[in-house]
This record gives sequence, C-alpha cells and structure tokens, in this order.
Amino acid sequence: MVHILGKVLPDSHLARHALTNFYGIGRYTAHRLCARMQIHDRCRVRELTPAQILNLTAFLSSPTSAPSAPKHPLASPSFIAPGPGKAPAAAPKPRIVEKDAAAQAQASTKRGDPLKTLKIETELKKEIRENIMHQRMIGSYVGRRHALSLPVRGQNTQTNAKTARKLNRLGRYN
Amino acid sequence: MLSLASRSLPAGSALASASRNGTVQSVQVRGYAAPKGPAKIQKQGFVNKGKKKKFIQTVDPNKMKRIPAFKPLTANQLKSEIFHEDVKTELQLPVFRPDALTESNALAKVMEFPTQSNLINRFGVPKNLNIEYRILSKSCAVVRDITLTALDKLDAASASSSKDNRVVLTGSSGCGKSVVLLQAAEYCAGRGWIVMYVPRVHHTVDSSTAYIYDSRTRTYLQPRFSWQVLRRFLDVNTTLLQDLKTTKEFPVERKAPVQAGSPLTDLINVGLQDGSLAPSVLSSLMTELSRQKTYPVLLALDNFQALYTRTTRYRDPKFEAIKPYHLSVPRLFLEYASGKKTFARGAVVGALSEGRADFVTPLELCEALGLPFPRPAGPYVRRVPEIVDYSQGLQKLAVPEKLSIDEAASLFDVWNTDKALHSLPDDDLFMSKYSEASGNARAFVWKGLLATLTS
Repeated sequence: MVHILGKVLPDSHLARHALTNFYGIGRYTAHRLCARMQIHDRCRVRELTPAQILNLTAFLSSPTSAPSAPKHPLASPSFIAPGPGKAPAAAPKPRIVEKDAAAQAQASTKRGDPLKTLKIETELKKEIRENIMHQRMIGSYVGRRHALSLPVRGQNTQTNAKTARKLNRLGRYN
Repeated sequence: MLSLASRSLPAGSALASASRNGTVQSVQVRGYAAPKGPAKIQKQGFVNKGKKKKFIQTVDPNKMKRIPAFKPLTANQLKSEIFHEDVKTELQLPVFRPDALTESNALAKVMEFPTQSNLINRFGVPKNLNIEYRILSKSCAVVRDITLTALDKLDAASASSSKDNRVVLTGSSGCGKSVVLLQAAEYCAGRGWIVMYVPRVHHTVDSSTAYIYDSRTRTYLQPRFSWQVLRRFLDVNTTLLQDLKTTKEFPVERKAPVQAGSPLTDLINVGLQDGSLAPSVLSSLMTELSRQKTYPVLLALDNFQALYTRTTRYRDPKFEAIKPYHLSVPRLFLEYASGKKTFARGAVVGALSEGRADFVTPLELCEALGLPFPRPAGPYVRRVPEIVDYSQGLQKLAVPEKLSIDEAASLFDVWNTDKALHSLPDDDLFMSKYSEASGNARAFVWKGLLATLTS
C-alpha cells in the first residue's frame, strides 16, 4: 500500500491507472505524469521506487511550483559514450531554430503541457466553486440555473434532469 | 489543503445507518457520489428466507485468487481407473544433439530439446511456443530442411566475424521462424558456443520494463531487463564464461574496478549484485565477448522487427516518444545487428514475428531484406535514416511457407501419441487438416489438429 497525499494506492494496481484516483487527474494527465517521473506503462504501484514516490508526492503537493521537465540530450547512432565512472561529455548546445510567425501561432494553439497548470483535489474544487459563484454574481443564466438546481447546458427539464436536481447547486464541489 | 482521508464524506452530508448485518453504512445525501466501500462478504451457511432455509455459499470477493495458468496433470496423478484411457505415455523422441543432426538421420523427424542445455528453462520461449510446450509432454520440434540450412550457415559462421553473419528469418505468420531460431540456439549451445537468446525482444520497446535516463551514455537505461539478461545468460553459459578472462580493467561506478584477468563470471556478478549497474555491466560484457576468439557467440533475437520500430511506447519527461536507439538494450542489439559492433567469431540471428499488430515490420527493414511492404511506399514516403542505417547488411533466410508432407506427418504422430487428437488419427484426417492449413505449421497444429472434433 502506497500513500500519496492521503490517498491509498493499492499495490496491485498499475501506477498509471492508480494516479487517476486523484480528483483532477484523468487518464491523459496520469500518462503525462508517469512520463515525467519515468514510470513505465506496466509499472505496478508496488514496483515504484522510493525516489519515484517522493517525486510524485512533491509534484502533486504543488504542481504549479514544480520545476519544468528536464531536457535530456540524446545519443545519435554514432555517439560513443565515455567509460563507466568517467564524467559525461559536455552536452551539445541546443540549436536555436527561428520559427516564423505562422509556425509560432500554430504552436501556441496546440495543447501544451497540462502538468504546468495542473490543479488537483481541493484547489480544483475551489476553482470550480468560484466559477459557479462568479456566474451567480454576474447574474448570468448559468448562475441562475445552478441556484435553481436545474440543468445548465440546455438539457430537457420536462423529463429527466434528475442528476441536475440532485447535484447542481451553488455550493457544489465542497 | 488536501483531504487527509480518502473515504471522508463532505461535511453535513453523512448519515450513518446500521444495516441488518450490523456494519455501519454511510448514506450519501448530497454532493458527489460516495466512494465505493469494501466488497461485502456474505457468510457461508444456511440463511432463513421466509419459511425456507437457503444455503448461501459465496466467495469473499476480496480474497478471490487468480486462476493459475493451465498445466496438464502428470502420469503419476492419473493412476485411478477412471483416467485409464487418458494415461499418458511418455513421448520417446530422439534428442536434438548436434551429432545426430544429419540429413539422413534427422530430416523430417521430431526431436526433443535436451534438458542439459537449460536454454528453454532459463531464457524462456516466445509466448506461442510456451503454450505449446505446456500442452506437449516434451519440448520438441520437427527438423526441417530450413533448419539444416540454418545450422550449416552457423557452422560456417563459427570461424568468421559476426559482421558477415547477420541473418534474419523471414516468412509468413505461423510458418515456423521462432522454432527454427530456437533450434539454432539449441544447436549452438550444444556445439559449445556462447549463446544469448532473447525470445521476447518487444519487451524492451513496449514500456513494460523500468527505464531511467543516464547522462553519461545519453540513453535511457533499462536496469531490470539488463539484470534479467545477465542472470539468464550466466545460468546458461556458466562453464564457458568461467574459462574466459577479461582482457582489460573494467571500471564500475561506485565500486572497485574489475581487474584484468579475472573470469567473466566476476564481471557479471558485479551487475547481478547491484541492479543499477546491470546496464553498464551488460555493455562491458558484450564488449569483452566481441573481443575474445575462444568461443563463437550467438545473439539470437525473436520478434526482431520490434527493434526497428520508429518510436517505442516509452515517453520522455516532455512526453515525446523515445526512439529505440535511445534505449540501452535495443541500442545494444541494434549495434550488433547492424554490424557497428561485431563478435570476432559468431553470428547474429533474428526472427521476425509477422502475426503481431503492435510492432509491424517497418518499411526500412522490409526494403533492406527485400520483403514486400503491404502499403504503397513510393519515393515520397519518408524512410527514417537512422533505421535504414541500422538495417544495412542484414541477410534474409526465408522459411518455407509450407511444411512438407513428411514433416507434417511427424508432427501429427507426436500430437497423436500425446493424446491430443479428438478424432480417429487416419489419413483422411491428416490430409484434410494439412490441406485446410495449406501446409502452414501453426494453422495445421492449432486450427487443424487441436481444434477439430471430426475429420
């Protein structure tokens, strides 16, 4: 049994799946998190090393203040490594490629690294609560529907709408 | 501040009520769904259901055991008269020994693999063969014409550098490439070669083993896979490795260097004692094996095309897919397969696996081996230059699509003796199944003989 930030991750589960137990981490974020921590896809929670568990805990306790992903220089097919025990060769200087305006505009529309702006658990719930309160404060349709515990996104109310009546409210995600 | 207990409910929403069993259940009133509690365990025994008593026999779902893999019962366990018809007779087969493998003696005969070599036990076999050898009472294979051709090539290769002896077994799905590779490995082990047989090379690229970046080699090391390779390699080749000595001092991180003149087993044990050193020890071991000329070395790789995939399933911290030559173990195998590193005496033999959908034979490898590529690939389709480079100089050894009638008949006899056939073992059954399979070995055995109730 591994405990990370109060959550119990069962030993027999795949680590990549177990991370989805956190509120705010789905399958894609869990995959990216495992890649960041160099956890392979078929790694079970019991196989996680103490260093990996520590890194995960450190990252998830404050994702926004965590250092960004390190840049690892990779060996070309002709690279010959120095022998064991010797210092690594000096890393090659990264090539500066000047992107034209069109390429830059295209790059900014791509889905960036979700781990840079990751929010989980109480922070995420607080953000959602604040969004709902903001909608109410500005007197929007969305805010009114939350206040009335009715569907927000244009669903039928003549029939169904039971989930909305049960879950929609201003104090949602407490 | 994150909640400390995963099962705590939102404030003001918990209503505890005692159920009939006496366990306390929390009822969710509002908010998101309550987390699922542990599975209820019903007591075994009689329970009053109105006027009748009902016997409840449930298994504790929390303690349900995984059903282990099927293994047939031995003859000793089947002594009762009920099993009289199913009593297994032990298969009496000639042993697959190098001196017994002549065209007159061995062609179209099924021979069992010797247990002394320990090769199958320690290195394992590909998944399909594993299932087959669990059902058969002996690990055996039919000696075909292509087997003898491959063994002749290996005999010629024992005197020359592996740069000239890099062979890839090709053919359609189920034609017998893995079996020929296994026979080649067993033959070389019997002939006194040093054999490194990796039956499931795709495990190095499918993100099923641990990986960690190393700034010295600028690759991602795979310590657990390297450790496994070292462990199995040492177990199979112990006597030969004790003979060989290191020719130079091998420095080891954080430990005293392995002195020149010490047996290779010492070098391997350094890697076995500390798993994090296994990748660098494996690399040093291969360097040492490539220098020595006492024993020829065979590097046998099954599922060979997985090494030439454009990207592996591994991801780097920036979530970009990692290339196979940026992982320590695939890079090592690619270097020997491409001739960038060579054994002074020996060969590199690979077997493709055509039935797999996860790692298909890539365009660059197909072109290097002269194989047809299933999709249109004109000059405007990009070939990755690094993979083209790694596939230079590979020779193709095509395994025939069909078993000959004699070979198929030997297989038929073996499965019949092992009481695997459900129908009468007559010529009709044999010829009909052979024709339906069109001579394909896997289809003949699995879809023909083992899956048939009538002829």
